[in-house]
Amino acid sequence: MEILLSAIVSGLLLGMVLAIVALGLTIIFGVMDMVNFAHGEYLMIGMYAGLLIAQVTGLDPLFSIPAAALFGFLLGLLCYYGLAKYLLRGPMVAQLLGTFGLMLFLRNLALLLMGSEDRAVNKGILVGKSFEIGMGVVLPATKLAAAFLSVAAFLAIWLLMNRSKIGRALTATALNAEGARYMGIRTERMNALAWGLGGATATIAGALLVNFWSVNPFAGLLFTMIAFTIVALGGFGSVPGAFLAGLVVGIITEFPGIWDFFTYTFHIKWMEQVPMTSFKYTLVYLVYFLIMVLRPRGLFGWKQ
Amino acid sequence: MKKQWGISGMLVLVALVMGMGTALAANTVKIGVIYPLTGGAAAEGRELRAGAELAQEIANNVYPNMAMTMAKNSGIKRLDGAKIELIFKDHEGNPTLGADLAKKLILDDKVVGIMGCYHSAVTKTVSAVCEQYGTPMINDSSTSPDLTDRGFKWFWRTTPHDVTFTKDLFEFLKGLTEGKAKGVKAVPKAEIANLASACEKTEWGSSVSKLIETFSKEYGFTVKKSILYAGKSVDLSSEVGSLKAVKPDAMLFASYASDAILMMKTLKAQKAQPKIVWGQDAGFEAPEFKNTLGDDIVGVLTRTVFLPKVATVKKVAGQVNEFYKKKTGHDLSGASARAFTGVQTWVEVLEKAGSTKPADIQKGANTIHIPGNQLIVPWAGIKFNTSGPDLGQNALGSGMIGQYQKDKDGNITLEIAYPFDVASANLIFPFKGF
Repeated sequence: MEILLSAIVSGLLLGMVLAIVALGLTIIFGVMDMVNFAHGEYLMIGMYAGLLIAQVTGLDPLFSIPAAALFGFLLGLLCYYGLAKYLLRGPMVAQLLGTFGLMLFLRNLALLLMGSEDRAVNKGILVGKSFEIGMGVVLPATKLAAAFLSVAAFLAIWLLMNRSKIGRALTATALNAEGARYMGIRTERMNALAWGLGGATATIAGALLVNFWSVNPFAGLLFTMIAFTIVALGGFGSVPGAFLAGLVVGIITEFPGIWDFFTYTFHIKWMEQVPMTSFKYTLVYLVYFLIMVLRPRGLFGWKQ
Repeated sequence: MKKQWGISGMLVLVALVMGMGTALAANTVKIGVIYPLTGGAAAEGRELRAGAELAQEIANNVYPNMAMTMAKNSGIKRLDGAKIELIFKDHEGNPTLGADLAKKLILDDKVVGIMGCYHSAVTKTVSAVCEQYGTPMINDSSTSPDLTDRGFKWFWRTTPHDVTFTKDLFEFLKGLTEGKAKGVKAVPKAEIANLASACEKTEWGSSVSKLIETFSKEYGFTVKKSILYAGKSVDLSSEVGSLKAVKPDAMLFASYASDAILMMKTLKAQKAQPKIVWGQDAGFEAPEFKNTLGDDIVGVLTRTVFLPKVATVKKVAGQVNEFYKKKTGHDLSGASARAFTGVQTWVEVLEKAGSTKPADIQKGANTIHIPGNQLIVPWAGIKFNTSGPDLGQNALGSGMIGQYQKDKDGNITLEIAYPFDVASANLIFPFKGF
């Protein structure tokens, strides 16, 4: 039972962290129908921002999050006004290739400025600490904090989108940009806001991740595919969908633990022989394919 | 007439300059070196490159005080002092890219031979290209046993492979039960009999995983869990959970830098309590492993082919290590020491061949014998197998196991834990935990 509980708790924590990684991607897609391939690089920049702020100021990495968020927001705006705005005038393929180019540019810029070695935070209030909550379940403090802040960020974005004037303007732009323009909404500002929010949430995720993950210029690549899967699974543009899909993906990646539970509880020899950890990402992408085939707009997709 | 003389003079000058260029070109021997200079193993790639460059510098200049034949000569003596020119290429950990780079080096850069590639999977594709073109390749740093099991005629490997290294691990465990480890009483076998392994699933990690299973049977240990995981994982908590589930006495790993760091962080976060943590070099010996994890790695074991402590028992290792430290600010690692030895082997092979023709190099490599006192690594020497199943493998190589410990000044250093007869400090056993 310890194994099962540990796997589920660990999966939920990881899911919440992955969900915030995907949040910015779903916001940009929801508002502009644009796939941002550079999203993973925003995350990587957030990781570096968190790391460097902590190292330079001597503050705990957790306190670097607001600064990383502001930096991410400004970076998002810069990318919108410097690139995305022009890409919107072109066909979909130009948007794909444009953000792909942005991804390569940011990655290589990081390589130039930071070098290729792994760097990580090894000091902080929560770094390396864990809480045992009984039944063999151990909660790593950094992941717990990341999960908590992820929920807070999702709530904040959900409230912004659904309970504020600016959020309604964003939603109107997402549903029908031309109609929104006729109603006096400055849609270009809304697009820029979407990019800013996308950048800010990605850098928040990065600043949280650097507490337990090492960063190098290629770190974003690891998370991009998972983020795309979560967005597709949850439904393009759906904020609650991204959160739930994050949890689903988190639980699937912990499936080896569930497998171990049955293996050792019922002493099933053949199950011992199956290297389930080798298949965990296969399972994630299998579920992704199934959802895409059966429900192409994702579990909670609201755009037609 | 004056104009004609002028044109003729210019032509003569151009011819002379071109001739000089050819003469200069003929006075260097180009070796293509393919390493992972970016990507997940970039840290190891940088170490490899620094080691190879140091050997190039020593080979091309005279260092009379260094106890090494290569340092006494300037360039290749039998090739009229031709200098070694290393042309570095970055394979990014990609076997296909590695093969393309090898073709480019052979066809465009006209290299005499190739060295690399660290990742066994890349070495496999690169060596296949070399075999196709009849270009000699010396592999300095890949440890998958399969590489010398293919009967290739143009492939030689200086480093010991994972069979040797993994056997060392089991000899170490056996010695621990026999009371051979410095400062530790004989540990009852039952207390360290249960093992669990987690290896990243490239060619190298997969082969290490299989070898751990094979040797554990031979030495009477039990592998309770054997995991292959994706090195580029966003999270390793399920892997650590699976390892913890079988409550192993020893956890054995084959990881590159990023995943080795993540693995150790996850072990700590999940409060894993093995008595032994051992890593198969690579990430466990990368500089950032130590820099990032600090005190958490005290007691962790890693196999290696070089430890700074070797310098205390081997003069030439100490001299080269000092030289390296001046240039890079840190000690030689297993990776940089092996790259250094790879270039040194190239120099000795070319001296033996006395020519840059592939057939002569092939003959030179097959007949070479570099004695152990010439090497910075603690091997008996370099002599390649010329027949049998391990064709092209250095028959005189051996491994070591180091343990991270804290010295008097609070610095984390690697002490020699195995071979037991040259152990440089008391072994920390059991692993203190996190």
